[in-house]
Amino acid sequence: MATDSIARILRAKEAGLVVVVIVLYALLAGFGGSVERDGVSVNTFLQSANQDLLFKETAYWAIMAIGATLVIISGGIDLSIGSIYCLSAVVGAMFFQHFGPTGGGAGASGVWVLPVGVVVCLGTGAICGLLNGVMITALRVHPFIITLGTMAIYRGLAFVMTGGQTIRNFPTALTHEFIGVNISGLYPVPAIVMVLSVIVAAILMRNSVGGRYVYAIGGNETASLYSGVRVNRVKIGVFTISGLCGGLAALILLGDYGSANSNTGTGYELNVIAASVVGGASLSGGRGTAFGAFLGALIIKLIEKAIVIFQINQEYSRIIIGVVVICAVVLDRVSANLVERRMTRAGRET
Amino acid sequence: MPDAILQFESITKRFPGVTALSSVSFSIEFGECHAIMGENGAGKSTLGKIVGGIYTADAGRMLLDGRPIAFRSPREASEAGIAIVHQELAFCPNLSIAENLFLGRLPSRTGFMRTTEMNEAARRMLDAVGLSLDPRMEMSRLSTAQEQMVQIALAVGRGARIIVFDEPTSSLSQNEAELLFALMQRLRADGVTMLYVSHRMEEIMRLCNRVSILRDGQYVTTLQTSETTTDEIVRHMIGRTVEAYFPRHAAGAPGDSLMSVRRFTAFGRFEDVSLELRAGEILGLAGLVGAGRSEVARAIFGIDPHDAGELQIRGRTVELRSPLDAIRAGVGLLPEDRKRQALVLAMDCKENLSLPSLEQLRRHYLIDHRAERGLATNFFRRLRVRAPGIDSAIAGLSGGNQQKIALAKWLARRCDVLLLDEPTRGVDVGAKAEIHALIDELATSGKAILLISSELPELLNLSTRIIVLAGGRVVGELSRAEANQEKLMKLMAGVN
Repeated sequence: MATDSIARILRAKEAGLVVVVIVLYALLAGFGGSVERDGVSVNTFLQSANQDLLFKETAYWAIMAIGATLVIISGGIDLSIGSIYCLSAVVGAMFFQHFGPTGGGAGASGVWVLPVGVVVCLGTGAICGLLNGVMITALRVHPFIITLGTMAIYRGLAFVMTGGQTIRNFPTALTHEFIGVNISGLYPVPAIVMVLSVIVAAILMRNSVGGRYVYAIGGNETASLYSGVRVNRVKIGVFTISGLCGGLAALILLGDYGSANSNTGTGYELNVIAASVVGGASLSGGRGTAFGAFLGALIIKLIEKAIVIFQINQEYSRIIIGVVVICAVVLDRVSANLVERRMTRAGRET
Repeated sequence: MPDAILQFESITKRFPGVTALSSVSFSIEFGECHAIMGENGAGKSTLGKIVGGIYTADAGRMLLDGRPIAFRSPREASEAGIAIVHQELAFCPNLSIAENLFLGRLPSRTGFMRTTEMNEAARRMLDAVGLSLDPRMEMSRLSTAQEQMVQIALAVGRGARIIVFDEPTSSLSQNEAELLFALMQRLRADGVTMLYVSHRMEEIMRLCNRVSILRDGQYVTTLQTSETTTDEIVRHMIGRTVEAYFPRHAAGAPGDSLMSVRRFTAFGRFEDVSLELRAGEILGLAGLVGAGRSEVARAIFGIDPHDAGELQIRGRTVELRSPLDAIRAGVGLLPEDRKRQALVLAMDCKENLSLPSLEQLRRHYLIDHRAERGLATNFFRRLRVRAPGIDSAIAGLSGGNQQKIALAKWLARRCDVLLLDEPTRGVDVGAKAEIHALIDELATSGKAILLISSELPELLNLSTRIIVLAGGRVVGELSRAEANQEKLMKLMAGVN
């Protein structure tokens, strides 16, 4: 039984990614040096504060990468995810500032400010995603084009709303008691939110009817339609979830950093899509997992850390990440080709 | 043999896990039309592809005019005077015919195409095979048949002495196929040697001088078509006798009307089509490609809109605006293009089978995996699907087994009205017989079946009645007793 499940894990699609993560961890732990703390020598990279920071930073990308992966599995692409993240953050920030210590609604009860603020933040993201989905299906325009447009529109809206100003001073209920809560020197909430998101997404993608439909549409849209799948509805749902993920990441930003402006998350769409792709999502649709999205985000984050630890010039980080993305896709293509060839030969050879 | 143009000596080709060809030896005579037959998986296409330079043999040798040759690419084969005509995308659809004909050697002067010169040369190449097409036309506007003829024009234009036809007619209508056959006869008169890889018995008996049969990668025998019978060929192909090669459906008394289509019209596609489907009945729908057969099925199934007409299911008027509406009303469509329209190749067998039934298989929001597996296991057994398991990739299955799963989708969803569009296209003889038996069994069990087929024997053997469409209109209805191939052909072609 035990060996059976181990074998299954090894065969899983993510096995290769886990190996990459382990290798990066070993490198970073081995070359990261150690620090003195309370008279004990601790590994700099592995020390709890650093791991806490690593997972907190990974949380942003991983959460958005779940949404991006879902979109990619369905055969689409969401370029506006960074802008949705920004607009959700700005809208949420304006709400929280109003009810913050310096805002006009400072006296309001924290009991409802926090939940309403969460809904505002997530709702903004979800509405942005919904609009993407509605436009893509109603206008029948490729997602690339629609989200390229909304990428500019959503960020532009954020700029117009803030006038370019940074918005801060949020209620401590958000920044110190919820997202930013400090438990003996660690800030675990973002990582917890990420883990929960990955688990929920993994269950829904594997076991829900909607999740199956997403894979079916990405695999063959026509066949799905002919099988009675409401293709447009599923697509709209997928983009809405992607927006919702942007909103969730924005909420974490507000609680963690305590500020937002119209430049928040510039270029994030690339990191997020990169995380999805490294995590095994296929841009031709039909393949990808939530766990893969998480691992993809973690790998990219670890590479960033490695760049710091090995004292490589920061300027190189973008180049290195770009190379990693291309390599991941090429490896994926090669293995897919092998599988496909084996199938064609076994099955359709005449 | 002095008059052999091409000889195979112990040709062996292995793919990971499969030996596609195992020590195959025979020879092709100069100027003959030589058929290569076999079930799917017998190795006939592999052999064709080795001749055409697409694959290279692992062992054995090929002799052209008595000299050993080995091609590493289609280009080398082409230089040696061998061309291959197949159905896979051979051209760039966005370029003109002329540009495609000269692709790779476009006449140019300092980088600019010499268009007039190229179009003239292209026209001469088309004329040589009797094709009257404007060489400036975009490739995408051609039908499959025309595209194949352009491939032939290209082969002839490059001086091919041997042309390999890899299942050329599997998606052609009877009319289009006739044009192709006329062209082949012309080529034979000009002394071109042809290798004809096909499933279709009738064509082979008509066109070819000899037929070589492969079974499971092994050479079985070569027969003179004038001295053999269809039965004998089939027997060699499958290695046993099949009395049930084309079973005749035992027509029972039809039951209640399950679906009634009244005066369905979609302007430009079909007009005024009425038909009645009863439980236990197989209604054949005959017609040439373009007669509107698939279009009618698609409109009934809610894929394409219709402009007028009424649809009743079990006596109740319904409006089916989407496939989902149709499925909920108990109608299932087996579409003509299995890989594009019926299956999600990236998913496994059970996931494909359960796709229309997920709403029934769910508990709360999650799929009941055990119920899903049970459903798949059940239908695998009932339909005798040959696959390693219900979890295996559907892309790895043979056409016949894929088709069984595509059909099982609707049985699993308990659809009573089945619209079958070319249910045996691209499946081998054995699977075809099984699918026929299955269709028969389904009708007997009380399903109502609309059978669209371009193969007249299939229609004649299975249908209780046959409706003939031509130019989008119903031009005749024949009962099983009065129907025969000749009458159908006349109606389909619009001859009275």
